[in-house]
Amino acid sequence: MDRTLVAVIFAVVLAMAALLLLIGFAEAPANAAGVSHAEIAAMQAGGDGAARLETVGGYAFAFHSLLLLFTILLCVLSVNRAKRTSVFLGWMALTFAVNMLVWRQIYWQHQVFLESGETGWLLGFPTATAWQIYGIWFAGVLLIAVYSAGFRRYVLSEEDERRFEELLQEFRESRE
Amino acid sequence: MEAYRQEIILGAIVLYMALCVTIGLWSMGRTRNAGDFFIAGRSLGPIVVSLAVFASTLSGFGFVGGPGLVYSVGVSSFWMVVISATAFGLGFFLVAKRIRMIAELRGCMSIPDVIAARYGSELARLLVAITIVLGVLGYLATQILAMSVVMQAILADTEMFADISLLGCVVLSSTVLVFYCVTGGVIASVYTDVLQGLVMMVAGFLILITAMQAFDGGLREASEIVLADDSESMMPFGAAGIVTSVGWFFVFGIGLAGQPHIVTKMMMNKKLADNRAVLPLSLLGYIVSALLWISIGLVMRAAVVGGGAEPLAQPDDAASTFLAMFANPLLAGIVFAALFAAIMSTSDAFLNIGAAAIIHDIPRALRNRPVNNELFWARVVTVILAVVAAGFALFSYYRDATLVALLGAFGWSTFAASLFPVLAIGLNWKRATTAGAVAAVTSALLINFVVQLAGITLPWGISGGLAAFVTSLVLFFAVSFATPQPKLAWDIDRMMDI
Repeated sequence: MDRTLVAVIFAVVLAMAALLLLIGFAEAPANAAGVSHAEIAAMQAGGDGAARLETVGGYAFAFHSLLLLFTILLCVLSVNRAKRTSVFLGWMALTFAVNMLVWRQIYWQHQVFLESGETGWLLGFPTATAWQIYGIWFAGVLLIAVYSAGFRRYVLSEEDERRFEELLQEFRESRE
Repeated sequence: MEAYRQEIILGAIVLYMALCVTIGLWSMGRTRNAGDFFIAGRSLGPIVVSLAVFASTLSGFGFVGGPGLVYSVGVSSFWMVVISATAFGLGFFLVAKRIRMIAELRGCMSIPDVIAARYGSELARLLVAITIVLGVLGYLATQILAMSVVMQAILADTEMFADISLLGCVVLSSTVLVFYCVTGGVIASVYTDVLQGLVMMVAGFLILITAMQAFDGGLREASEIVLADDSESMMPFGAAGIVTSVGWFFVFGIGLAGQPHIVTKMMMNKKLADNRAVLPLSLLGYIVSALLWISIGLVMRAAVVGGGAEPLAQPDDAASTFLAMFANPLLAGIVFAALFAAIMSTSDAFLNIGAAAIIHDIPRALRNRPVNNELFWARVVTVILAVVAAGFALFSYYRDATLVALLGAFGWSTFAASLFPVLAIGLNWKRATTAGAVAAVTSALLINFVVQLAGITLPWGISGGLAAFVTSLVLFFAVSFATPQPKLAWDIDRMMDI
C-alpha cells in the first residue's frame, strides 16, 4: 500500500509543480502581488481583486487544494500500515473534507464580495476573512484531535512501545 | 505610573534577564556531558517540551516583523499564523515519534546525526550540517541585531544610558544570551524557554484585550476602516494576493517539520507517549502568543489609514508604536520582556544546534570521529558562534546589509525546502535514498542562493523559498525512485516498521 500511497503523493507534488509553473508564466497584472499604497509610504494595497484572480485564481485554488491533500496523505503515510484502519482513514477523509470546505468558503465568499461589494461580518472580521481565521484553525485542530485522542490506536500503541524496548535491547546487545 | 514608563519597561526587561541568568546558573550543575548539553539527556517532561517547542517557533519576527507585515500587506500575513494548527499536527505526525526513537536507538544528539543514521551517509550528514551552520549564522545575526536595536531605543530614553551605542547594546544583550547557553547548554535553553513561553502567552493575551479596546467598535471597527480604505487588504488574500498567501501557507505550514531548532526539541522528551500531550499544549501556547501578531498589525493599519496615527517610518515600527499609543507602562514592560523572550528563545536554540553541527557533526562527517571533550568545545564554539553572528549584525547595520541578507535567506524557507523532504518524509518512507536526499538539500540551497544573490523577483509574488521547496520535493521523490532501493541498517528498518 505504501508504494501506491507514495506514488499518489509524488503525483500530487508533480501537479503542484506544474500549477506553479502555469502561474509563473501567466500574464500578471500590475497589482499581482500588491502595489504601493496611494497615500501611505511603507504600506501596500491590493487594488482590483477581481483582475488579479481572473488569470490565476483557478490555478491557485487547485494548488492549495492539492496542498491540503498532500498534508493529509503525508499524515496517512506516517501511520503504520497495520493501523490504517477504515476508521482512521475515515477521520483523515473527514479532516480533508473540512479543510476543503473551509478553503472553498474562503475563496467563494471572497468572490461574492468582489461581485457584490458587500460582506457579512463574523466575530470582528468580514465573512471570507472570518472563514480564514477561525476555519483554518478549526480544521487544523481536527488533525490534532486525531493525533492526541487516537494516539494509542494510530500513532504508538503499548504494543509498539514494547516492540521498541525489545529493539533497543537487541541493538545494545549487538553492540556489546 | 506614566511618568515612570521607561523605568518600568527597563525594570521588566532587567527582571526577565536576571531570571534567565539564574536559570543558566541552575542548569550548569545539571550539564555533565555533551548529551546533556545538546539534547538535555532526553529527560524533559511534556509541559517543558511543549513550551520549548512553541517558544522556539515564535521568534522575534513574530513580535516585530509579523505585526509589521500585517501593517504592510494586510491579511495576507495571517496565512503564516492560521496555518499553525495544521503545521504542528503534520509535524508531530511525521517527525515526533520517529525522531525520538532514532535518537534513543542510535544516541543521536543532532539533526545531522539523525540523517546519518537514517541514510547511512556521511555526505548527507555533512550537507545538512553545513546548511544548519549557514542558517544559524543568518538567523542569529538578524535576531541579535533586532534585540540590540530595540534595547538601544529603550535605553536612549533614559537619562543614564541616553548615549549608549549599538555596539554596547549588542554586547549587553548577547552576554546574557551567551551566558546561559554556555553554562547550561540546552537544559538552560529549554528552561528559559518555559519562562519565555509563559511571558509570551501573557503578553499575547493582554495585547488582544488592549487591541479590542483600541477602537470603540472593537476589532470590527478596525476591520471596517481597513476594508473601506482598500478592500483587498482586509479580504483573505490581503494586499499581497492569492499566490503569495498560499505560498506562505505552504512554506510556513508544511515547512515547520523541517525546522531544526523545533524538531530537535522533539528528541528531548522523557517518554515517547508524552507527544500526545505535547502537541496540543504547544499549539495552545503558540495561538495565544500569536494573537499579538494579528491584533497589533490590524489595529495599527486601521489607526494609520483612519487618520488616528501618523504613518510609520517602517512597518516594523508597528509594535513599538502600538505600545506607545495604547498600552499602559506595565503592559508595555511585559510585552518588551516578551519580545526579548521571543528573540532569545529562538537564538538559544540556534546557538545550540549550530554548536552541535560544528563540533559534533562536521568532524564526524569528515574524520569519522568526534572531537575530544565535546562538552568543552561545545561551550567554546557557542561563544565563537555568538561573536561571529554579532559581528555580522554590526557589519550589516553599519556597512553593508548584503551579507546578513544573504545568510538570512537561509532562514525558515531554506530549512523547510532542504530538510523537510529529507527528514520528515525520509523518516516515514524506506524507499528514500541518499541520492534523493542529496539532490533535495543541494537544490534547495542552490535555488535560495541564486534567487538571493541575483536579486531575482519571481512573478505573482512567488517566493524563492516556495520555488525551492517544490523543486526539492520533486527531486527527492524522482531521484529516490530513479536510484536503487537502499538497504537500511537492520535497526533503522525495524524502527520504521513501528
